[in-house]
Amino acid sequence: MRLMLICLSFLALSACEGRQSVLSPAGRDAQDVLSLIWVMFGGAVLLWLLLAAIFVYVTRVEPREMPRRWGEMLIVGGGVIFPVILLGALLTYSLPMMKPQREADPGLKVHITAEQWWWRVDYELPDGSRVTSANELRLPTGRRTGLVLNAHKVIHAFWVPALGGKVDMIPGRETYLSFFPEEPGVYRGQCAEFCGASHALMAFETVVMTPEDFAEWLTAEAEAATAPASGEAVRGAQVFTREGCGACHSVRGTPAVGQVGPDLTHVGSRKSIGAGILNGSEEDFAQFIAHTESLKPEVAMPSYNHIAPEDLRALVAYLKGLT
Amino acid sequence: MKRVIQTLAAVAATGAVVAVSVVAIGLYNVSAREGHMWGVTWLMHTTFKQSVKLRAPGPDEVPDDLGSPDRVKLGALHFKNACAFCHALPGQPQGAAAQAMEPTPPHVSSITGWTPGEMFWIVNEGVKMTGMPHWPAKDRDDEVWSVVAYLNALPDGAGQVALAGEGRGRASCAQCHGEGGESGNSHIPRLDLLTPGQIAEALRQYRSGQRQSGIMQEAAMALSDNEIATLAQTFGSSKGPRRQSEPAPEATTPGALLAQRGTGDVPACTVCHGPGRQADAPIAPLLTGQSRDYLTGQLRLWRNGNRGGGERARLMRKAAQDLSDADMSALADYFAGLPAE
Repeated sequence: MRLMLICLSFLALSACEGRQSVLSPAGRDAQDVLSLIWVMFGGAVLLWLLLAAIFVYVTRVEPREMPRRWGEMLIVGGGVIFPVILLGALLTYSLPMMKPQREADPGLKVHITAEQWWWRVDYELPDGSRVTSANELRLPTGRRTGLVLNAHKVIHAFWVPALGGKVDMIPGRETYLSFFPEEPGVYRGQCAEFCGASHALMAFETVVMTPEDFAEWLTAEAEAATAPASGEAVRGAQVFTREGCGACHSVRGTPAVGQVGPDLTHVGSRKSIGAGILNGSEEDFAQFIAHTESLKPEVAMPSYNHIAPEDLRALVAYLKGLT
Repeated sequence: MKRVIQTLAAVAATGAVVAVSVVAIGLYNVSAREGHMWGVTWLMHTTFKQSVKLRAPGPDEVPDDLGSPDRVKLGALHFKNACAFCHALPGQPQGAAAQAMEPTPPHVSSITGWTPGEMFWIVNEGVKMTGMPHWPAKDRDDEVWSVVAYLNALPDGAGQVALAGEGRGRASCAQCHGEGGESGNSHIPRLDLLTPGQIAEALRQYRSGQRQSGIMQEAAMALSDNEIATLAQTFGSSKGPRRQSEPAPEATTPGALLAQRGTGDVPACTVCHGPGRQADAPIAPLLTGQSRDYLTGQLRLWRNGNRGGGERARLMRKAAQDLSDADMSALADYFAGLPAE
């Protein structure tokens, strides 16, 4: 019975695999964090074994009174000298790890502002211009990218376990972090500081790409929105305008200039919508637009459940076409 | 001890007999013609006055523009519609029916001795056992203050406004909103900027109470669907819903910037309300040309969550929830300063 429970508990370890785990790092910083974890874990196990051995020795093997001199050596050595050496060694090993994670990089910088409950993402190019996106972070491999973190109304925390982190995002005070991704792939990030009703529903995908793919993507992301292609998408664009979506959302190249909600210029190419809570299929888009307040309690966007089904379909066609 | 108990029992029995006679048998005469017994009038009137004094808002809650002629005029027009039946108009006698009430409602010219705050409380809350109703709408202090503005202006002659026009329907709409719906009063919206559909929807919402307004609910309560349709056509813009081809003028003032671009908390107004909106079938009224006072008042209702409306009202309630007083003032300046289309 006990053996079965132990075996079952190993099933929980399967959660450590995958795209939101410190145990499967995809970048240099997460690798450093993981090495630190293993060193500390290994050290803790050794220390525990050593203590257990001493206990066994003094209670079972040699349970007589110890000479006074030995006892004093054990207290001073084990209580003062040994911990100082051990902690000193750990600090020497770990402190230099923090520096690169704060390293200011002359190249790409990404400004990330936490909103309730989504992420404003602004790529600052070397020439100072900005490319605005939202709810998805794209990073190139093989180089360090700086992340400038801010928050709008309340404290949040930025964490992509597979790449490094985490750092608090504080209104009115900029914090900084940088990532050195190495393994292309899609990794999940999550707000890691309670920030209100929909805190648990505030996630995002981080897409790590090769430098060539990334450069290509960034060029495309900087473009204005593509004009709607199909007849249904054209009708959807009219619904978008009629319902006033552009008062809160921006679609570059159209009259939609709002700043309250996420930029939608290339929303159709994102891997998720609703800040990482839905996958971004047509059905997901329709659900999110019509039932926003149920899917994300207390969010600023009202549920557009008064839109006729055919109008909603057209609207989704337009948004999915914004690639 | 026994004597005491016997006395108490006798008193209780007498009380029960009196109560049964009054309530169940009907011995007490409720006739208004008979009036009250000696002393009761004084007792009740004193209770009423002290109760009002205790509860009335202080001078710091009186709006700054209580003396504005447009506000006085709006109050006067509503007074004529809803209050004059009992209180008469200045220079006119009260009707015989009103005079036969118990207590007799005071003639409008004899309403003196109250502070504006006390008048506000009486108009807003009404008075039990006098026939004075409370304000029919919830959370419309702005309207109640307009009536107070009128009453407050009466003694010094500023309240002697011309009150022409009779009857319901077009005549009474035009009284306040102007013959062509162009208003002319800063507290009364222009109807000629709205589509017939928007006017009809608003009238239906007032009639059903979805939109709260003591003034407009009084005006709309008796309208039939056909009358609403006719009025909407008469006063509404003949241009109909349309796309605005001209872009909005370049933003230079804080109000224009806020209206055209919005902020991280406030949506851009002009996307739905113009100028320069692109929608073919607009869901929202044009605001350019409406008066500053009206726009500020409505924005405050939206911001405070007190503005009713149709299925999209919740969109506007969310849009306005983060507006500051300064924002509302700047926005009203911007829209009021632009020429109507």
